[in-house]
Amino acid sequence: MPQPDGQAQPSREELRINFFRPRAGFMRKEVRIIWFTLAAWAIMTFGMPIHMALTHSDPVRTMTEVPYVFGIPAYFWFSGQFLILWFIFLCFVFNVLIDWLTSSYRRRR
Amino acid sequence: MEHSLKLTPFFLLGCVLIISLLVGLLTRRHDQGGYGVQVHSIGHAKIGAAIASNWMSAASFLGIAGVFFLNGYFAFAYILGWTGGYVLLLVLMGSQIRRFGKYTAPDFVEARYNSSVARVCSAVIAIIISLIYCVAQYKGIGLVFAWMFGIDYTQALFLGTVVTLLFLMTAGALKVSRNQQMHYLILILSFVIPLMVIAKKLGYNWLFPQFSYGSALRDLPADISSTYLFPWTFGTPYEWIALCFTLMVGTAGLPHVLSRFYTVPNNRDARWGVVWGLFFIGLLYWSAPAFGAFARSWLATSGTELDPATAQALADIIVIKTAEWVGLNEILVSVLAIGGILAAISTITGLLVTGAGAISYDIYYRLINPRANERHLLLVAKGALLVLALLVLVIAVNPPGMIAQITAVAFALAGNTLFPVFLLGIWWDRTNKYGAIAGMLVGTVITFAPILFGHLLPTLRAILPPTSSALIGAPVVILTMIVVSRLTPPPPESLRRFLVEKVHSP
Repeated sequence: MPQPDGQAQPSREELRINFFRPRAGFMRKEVRIIWFTLAAWAIMTFGMPIHMALTHSDPVRTMTEVPYVFGIPAYFWFSGQFLILWFIFLCFVFNVLIDWLTSSYRRRR
Repeated sequence: MEHSLKLTPFFLLGCVLIISLLVGLLTRRHDQGGYGVQVHSIGHAKIGAAIASNWMSAASFLGIAGVFFLNGYFAFAYILGWTGGYVLLLVLMGSQIRRFGKYTAPDFVEARYNSSVARVCSAVIAIIISLIYCVAQYKGIGLVFAWMFGIDYTQALFLGTVVTLLFLMTAGALKVSRNQQMHYLILILSFVIPLMVIAKKLGYNWLFPQFSYGSALRDLPADISSTYLFPWTFGTPYEWIALCFTLMVGTAGLPHVLSRFYTVPNNRDARWGVVWGLFFIGLLYWSAPAFGAFARSWLATSGTELDPATAQALADIIVIKTAEWVGLNEILVSVLAIGGILAAISTITGLLVTGAGAISYDIYYRLINPRANERHLLLVAKGALLVLALLVLVIAVNPPGMIAQITAVAFALAGNTLFPVFLLGIWWDRTNKYGAIAGMLVGTVITFAPILFGHLLPTLRAILPPTSSALIGAPVVILTMIVVSRLTPPPPESLRRFLVEKVHSP
């Protein structure tokens, strides 16, 4: 946070912005929310294709082995339908968290 | 294809263009007021519809279904890339770029990196992105017009260009701004209603064709069914992941997507607008594969065999062909065709106007003639628009790929250049102009090297597929920017203070 009595020369540290070493306070909490959302985004998006690539190589056998949802293989439904819902949900959660964080810091100011 | 003029779609198209001009004229004054001061939750849905209407192009409307028709599961890389990218954009830089307060990519780059060279680089990149994006849209218009008028593709392209320019000029002369919510509504209805009727005709659940297309795929003969359901029939896991990732970072770096964050009164509304926007875009993407699946279903039950070349040629208008094949009412088929044309025309007009603006302001005014007055600049912009339109036309005569693939190259360029420049510009105060310029140059080379030299070096093309180069490209560019910035002097303290106090404060 910039000091309210900011007369003194700021140190280099005070002007630092680095995603991997966020400043204490608002930015650190914000970056924590971002990491959380990004992890939920990456694992769900790329986890399924990676899992499928590692475990299934034969088209016909895959069709008999995998579980089914709504009449289609579960992984297919997961990629084509569920993930878009998941993205919407993630944006929703992210917004709720950021709204909460912003309002708590605005009050503190 | 039969070679005759189809009257129904022709008249419908004329009516729609005239009506949209009239509606634009009537709501003109109302529209200029923009959004009211207070935006309620219904307002967020409105913002979302505007985001979605701005997003929906021929690639979404025609392209995705075509890729699904040809490549089954592989098409999900497009769908997820073009939706998941919004998560990346919202989470990593939506709020910060908004607080930064610059409205276009070149404006941001100049303000952040304090360099007119970097500005010109980003302007040129933004123009190239628009050009590539437009080529894909032109292909869509050309194919639909060829179908509609029974003429060949090249003639149809010329006709399409004329119609687009006419529409652009009348709309421009009348100062019509289009109603984005209405535009979205028209597009989504003209997509989903015919799809429901197709599902009904084929005997599947018509209320939710987004779900019942799964059963249609399963009802195919076992070998065909597993071809389209199995993830790796048409691409390796690496190709799938690389494409999906490229489209995601490309979405987050696309100039015309970013500027959407400014057309709403405040940061919070912009963020919540994205949630709705994603839902509205999702409605289209949940439905698009169904066209491809129902097309396969019809081909299998009617015993029609398509050789690969014909399938490839039909893929980009499979949305319309499916409707025709299952014997949909002529009006509904026309509605689909016109939806595709509207999606393409609105995208083209937006991109060409922005591109022409960048040429006249960012390049001509800032670089060549700083004393040009406003009238002079307007003239340059108009000339630039015409040149851009013709340039796109020339490239589109021999389209280098499918609609979705061409569009993907534009995303690769955005993901390899503007995305890293935005990301580091926001999240690392030490990034300087040298880093940014080096990054944009390296990113451009990475994007175009596999396209230009891919035939000489097949390995290069395998590692960096033209549509999917950002999985490797974006990290390489980010690394380049970090190294070059470290080796050169840091940006001025005033700028870093601005980043801390304005951009990264609640």
